[in-house]
Amino acid sequence: MNGRSEGYAFGSIKWLFLLLLAVFPMCMVFAFPAVAGGAVTGITVKVTPDSVFVGDRIHCTIDVRHTSNEIVALEGIDSLSVQPFELINHKQSSAIVSPGTRKESFDYELAVFGRGRQSIPLVTVALRDSAGTDIKRESYRSSSTVFVKALTDSTMRELRPIKPPLSPSIPLLLILPVILGVFGVAGLVLLLLFLLKRTVHTSAEKVDPGQVAQRKLRKLGSRLSAGMPPPECYEELSNIMRTFLEKHYRISALEAVTQEIERDLKKLGVSGFESIMNLLAQADLVKFADSRPNAEESRQSLRKAEEVIRSARTARSSEE
Amino acid sequence: MEHAVELEELGMRITEASRFIEKAQEQLSRRIIGQHDVIKRIFIAMLVNGHILLEGVPGLAKTLIIRTFAAAMNLKFQRIQFTPDMLPADLIGTMIYNPKDMEFYPRKGPVFANVILADEINRSPAKVQSALLEAMQEHQVTIGTQTFPLQEPFMVLATQNPIEHEGTYVLPEAQVDRFMMKVIVDYPSYDEELEIMLQSATNAIASPIIPVVQPDDIARARALIDLIYVDPRVQRYIVDLVVASRKPSQYGIASLEAMIEYGASPRASIFLLLASKAHAFLQNRAYITPEDVKAIAYDTLRHRIRPGYEAEADNISSDDIIRQILQHVPVP
Repeated sequence: MNGRSEGYAFGSIKWLFLLLLAVFPMCMVFAFPAVAGGAVTGITVKVTPDSVFVGDRIHCTIDVRHTSNEIVALEGIDSLSVQPFELINHKQSSAIVSPGTRKESFDYELAVFGRGRQSIPLVTVALRDSAGTDIKRESYRSSSTVFVKALTDSTMRELRPIKPPLSPSIPLLLILPVILGVFGVAGLVLLLLFLLKRTVHTSAEKVDPGQVAQRKLRKLGSRLSAGMPPPECYEELSNIMRTFLEKHYRISALEAVTQEIERDLKKLGVSGFESIMNLLAQADLVKFADSRPNAEESRQSLRKAEEVIRSARTARSSEE
Repeated sequence: MEHAVELEELGMRITEASRFIEKAQEQLSRRIIGQHDVIKRIFIAMLVNGHILLEGVPGLAKTLIIRTFAAAMNLKFQRIQFTPDMLPADLIGTMIYNPKDMEFYPRKGPVFANVILADEINRSPAKVQSALLEAMQEHQVTIGTQTFPLQEPFMVLATQNPIEHEGTYVLPEAQVDRFMMKVIVDYPSYDEELEIMLQSATNAIASPIIPVVQPDDIARARALIDLIYVDPRVQRYIVDLVVASRKPSQYGIASLEAMIEYGASPRASIFLLLASKAHAFLQNRAYITPEDVKAIAYDTLRHRIRPGYEAEADNISSDDIIRQILQHVPVP
């Protein structure tokens, strides 16, 4: 019996010891999380992804827990530029975990080169007081590794697709004001142009072509009296009439021959059509058939032209 | 006023001298319905010693117009069908050996006529085309060692089919340039078509065309055409139109710059002036106006302006280019 109870007691102690042995590490993990990551307390390292191709990028996040009155610095960053890693970018953030405890996060973006399994390089964590004096300085090597695959190897049967270059992502909030600004400026310019065109158009409309033609005819009359040669007078008269016809009846008269003007005016049913055509035909004779009218004939033609313009203006105003 | 009086007198002489054209037109209208513009251009070319390239689809009475024209004008007509196996000798003639007197004698070809219809000129190889074009230019033909002058008036009317290009020899630009005008023969209007149908769909033989022109009528008309007055303004207008086809940006039509591969040659200015004079003659006028120039500008310039690659891509023809030029070059 004794032997049995002794054996039972011994067995219970053994089981208790084994239980304690199993529970202790778990308690240690909750009490000191850094123990799980390595030798240094309060430091964790996370690497994503753990398998990449040569030249790809990984994110290495190093979290350091410390008391609120300490300042954390991560040194040995330069050592990351040694092969096979190349530091591309890094960010740092801080957060309160519990009263009196903070967590400092260092996020490194690294380009990976080389080939095969690569260990994360050694980093040095420095804890300083508010005056900047070192309290503690410890080197830490993470157990995390990255497996780097070569772009080509003997097992490959076909080429791997080339990855497209990374396009920089511009936040919409930054672009939107620029776009709105460009549209705003363009709209403003268009509005100004429209207003300018309308102003010019309105002012041009206000000028009566008949009035202008009559003024020019009067000037031509006085030049004729001053000794202007009649052929020149007819040439000028033809130009005045054509300009008037173009603007008054909105036909193309300056680049048209007399026959074309005749056709257009006939279509419009212009009053005084015959007088207009007579004047133009007379001017054509002077211009192209070397006709030499005298000053009196020229004065008569000017008077006829004035009459034609006056009657056209009267007809227009009565229509309106 | 002296010059004006002279022109008035010349105008009267022109009216008198152009009567034969009215008579010939009357004869033509008995056989031909419509195609007034084509007939007018044939008269113009005949009056100023020019040649015409006619372009139109088959069946538009091109041959009938020319045959009737020659008959009414009392001129010797010869139709030559150009074929791929034709030789220059078939056109101009050759030396024939006479065994009786053991000598070579020249045998004149069909080119020895007043009005030549070179039907489908682009069907023959270049050597035949150039033989005809040489005759057109020189008004003489050499057979063996002898040179023979061609009969006056001598006019060539060559036809081309614009839709069938397979097995053809396209006329080179240098040879096309020798034609005074390129006239497009278009379809008749609805009413004209109706009239053509009723007139032609019969077994009755058409009454013959009466020759109404005397041998010296054409020579007299040509002499009067030389006297027609051309004002310097109109002379400059003609040159402006031709230069605008070469340098359109100088005339405010920069948009045409890329559309034109090459513009009209100086021959265009010469023919434009000559054709304008003949046009004025047909109007019984002793002077040219810009209307005359505009009236024949398309026919005189269309084969001398080559649209560029961009124009072809945009489906812009040489007629469209000429229209732009006429709209932008100021009329004197």
